[in-house]
Amino acid sequence: MKDSNFDCSRYIVPVNIDRKHLLDTLGSHFALKATNHSSEKITLVDSFEWGLYTKRLLGFRMDNNNLAIWPSDDLFDPDQASVVENDNPQAKFWWDFKESPERGQLQDILALRALMPLSNGVLKSENGSLQDDEGKTLVFFQMVSFYRSASARNPLFSQVKLIPVTGYEEQQQRAQSLLLELGCFEPSLSPIDSFLGAIGVTPAPYTVKPELFITPTMPARTAVNSIISQMIEKQRLNEQGVIEDIDTEFLHHFRVALRMTRAAIAQLKEVFPEQDVLSLKERFGKIGRAANHLRDLDVFILDKKRYLNLLPESLEPGLLPMFDDLEKERASEVKRVAKWLKSAAYKKEMADLQALFEKGYAACETEWSERPSSELAVNKIMKRYKKIQKSALKITDSTPDEDIHSIRIDCKKLRYLLYFFGGLFNAKQLSRAGKQLKRLQNRLGIFNDLSVQGQYLETYLEETEHQEQKDVYLIAALGGLIATLHHMQQLSRKESIHELHAFSAKSNRQLFSQAFAAVGPAQ
Amino acid sequence: MRVIASYSIKGGVGKTAASVNLAYAAASAGHETLLIDLDPQGASSFYFRLRTSKKDRGKSFFSRRGRLLKNIKGSNYRRLDILPANLAFRNFDIMLNSMQKSKKKLKQILIPLDDDYDLIILDCPPNLTLLAENIFNAADIIVVPVIPTTLSERTYDQLLGFFDSKGYKKKKIRPFFSMTQQQNRLHTDTINKMGKKHSSFLKSRIGFSQEIEKMGLHREPVLAYASKKSPVQAYRSLFNEVAKALGMK
Ligand SMILES: Nc1ncnc2c1ncn2[C@@H]1O[C@H](COP(=O)(O)OP(=O)(O)OP(=O)(O)O)[C@@H](O)[C@H]1O
Ligand SMILES: [Mg+2]
Repeated sequence: MKDSNFDCSRYIVPVNIDRKHLLDTLGSHFALKATNHSSEKITLVDSFEWGLYTKRLLGFRMDNNNLAIWPSDDLFDPDQASVVENDNPQAKFWWDFKESPERGQLQDILALRALMPLSNGVLKSENGSLQDDEGKTLVFFQMVSFYRSASARNPLFSQVKLIPVTGYEEQQQRAQSLLLELGCFEPSLSPIDSFLGAIGVTPAPYTVKPELFITPTMPARTAVNSIISQMIEKQRLNEQGVIEDIDTEFLHHFRVALRMTRAAIAQLKEVFPEQDVLSLKERFGKIGRAANHLRDLDVFILDKKRYLNLLPESLEPGLLPMFDDLEKERASEVKRVAKWLKSAAYKKEMADLQALFEKGYAACETEWSERPSSELAVNKIMKRYKKIQKSALKITDSTPDEDIHSIRIDCKKLRYLLYFFGGLFNAKQLSRAGKQLKRLQNRLGIFNDLSVQGQYLETYLEETEHQEQKDVYLIAALGGLIATLHHMQQLSRKESIHELHAFSAKSNRQLFSQAFAAVGPAQ
Repeated sequence: MRVIASYSIKGGVGKTAASVNLAYAAASAGHETLLIDLDPQGASSFYFRLRTSKKDRGKSFFSRRGRLLKNIKGSNYRRLDILPANLAFRNFDIMLNSMQKSKKKLKQILIPLDDDYDLIILDCPPNLTLLAENIFNAADIIVVPVIPTTLSERTYDQLLGFFDSKGYKKKKIRPFFSMTQQQNRLHTDTINKMGKKHSSFLKSRIGFSQEIEKMGLHREPVLAYASKKSPVQAYRSLFNEVAKALGMK
């Protein structure tokens, strides 16, 4: 019957009750029939962001390299795992696995993230049934235990699940009370949380976005200080992932965090003494520049499929040598960046910078440093918005591309201000304003990417000029791609201009001035 | 929800063996399945190690829906449930006669099971009575085991004749050859002859097998204990053919 799994009952088996005693107890009331048992080395995996866990799933790399994903309520139920087939022991991205609907699920959850090993051990499971004397099954049972190693005596985690059989409710209850009398208990946490707790893994979901508690009356410098301090922390959380080259998101987030720090310093500079601002900008700027090139390469390589798809099939292979070059360059660039991140110089510089903000930035008062943070927020957001809006209105068909790109940068600055101070404003209005901004940013982002990519390809083409042996197909492919991107860029420019005008429309002006009107006691 | 009846006018042709194994094959292919043992002999129930109920519940079976669900038992296999034979089924015909719309009563009674099951399999007793007509109305497909002998040919024609005379859709009837023996000339000749005459024959055949005969000792569907290479796996292809004809995924 459908839903018959509904009233499965799950019990945690305490360490002091051994397996044999438990089975004997059940065996004294029922005929115990074991159907199968297995023992398998497994590795718990998830992404740095705990993408599976946040969806209430746990993923395990099994002995045969397949990936088994269980929803919380059916943890370790062999019938309920969604299995992503795989025979590549190195597989860590969704695209490393074999094509299947299960892989599609993984793609949605992981995006560009890699699966990382978090803990490993041995999973032993026993399935069977409790029967009457004619061999009729009355209750199914399933016992799973997780051991640190194959030789470990006691499991770290052990659970018994009783699965009812339609029409035998009494017997199900009998089996339940036997387990309870033994000292087994129903867990108060969800299955995945009780499992993770037992094996000593603490999920720490991570997001690059600031998670701040700024109050309207908090002195402006204190607020800015907390922003910077948190962003430095986030930047540093990503270092190891970049060094080990686990996935490209680590570097991306490293740079986003750093950019937010720099934005906070540059845009909210009034809270610091002038001469300090100069040196801080210089010091963080230097760190930012060190990884620019690697990120450019990542973006290009991640888009490989898209580029190939833009070309007619006959020209696709022509472009491959360029990607080979890019991959090689990336390999050496990763090494260089990793070496830099591991260097004593970088570590010292970061530690020094971190120390400046750790306990509150110590410097003499400035005009703004002690004013309420809400005042600073309103002032900065509205100024930035008005700037964007003014320049947007001036855009015409003959405006140079650079002017449009510079509005894009202003939009990004505004976005960061909303991240920093969003908590101070009406959530509904903030989200509406945020959506408008996001739309514009997306458009401008595409326009910018197309320009940058086109330029990159032109530079690459120019370099081939100096090579002795010229690869005709490569050159043709580059030509085709440059022309296509150019055409796309022109279209994108039109759409961007349209979006810019829409963004500066009266209704939006009202929305922004309402959403970011003075808050709190600063009124 | 689809309904398969395993039916024949003749006794002892392999209806129950087919019901039990089709049900097992369906459940193991992922379908929530209910096997209804309509035969008071309770052979299906016996194969699933169920005790048949001795209480006289014949009337309530057809009158109260809640009762029906209450009598369902899970089997030893996931997704496979049984409604055990009830000894009072013997009186079905008398009861059905006293009810209105008596030829569609079974069909009506199965409707609410749609929430719980993808597939219902009816193991039928061998006769051509009012219960049989209820079965013909309720089933989407009627699989008929045919032992390839002259006598079976005649009873099969009799069934078709009955459908014609009552205006039932003959399309529902899908015969298959049961207990076939390769060395037996009569069998091979009859298979050729009947196969040509009736295009409705399912391609899968269930050969005569000692493994199947032993179901009574094992008290399990033969598919549960036979090897993967055993000829009895033909029950699975029989199920696949039927599932396809029913448009099941
Ligand atoms: N393919 C087969 N090979 C050998 N024996 C078989 C085969 N199919 C069924 N049998 C045996 O033949 C006997 C009758 O089969 P079964 O009970 O399935 O027929 P039935 O049509 O349901 O009979 P009834 O009309 O009595 O309900 C049983 O003992 C069964 O084990
Ligand atoms: Mg029978």
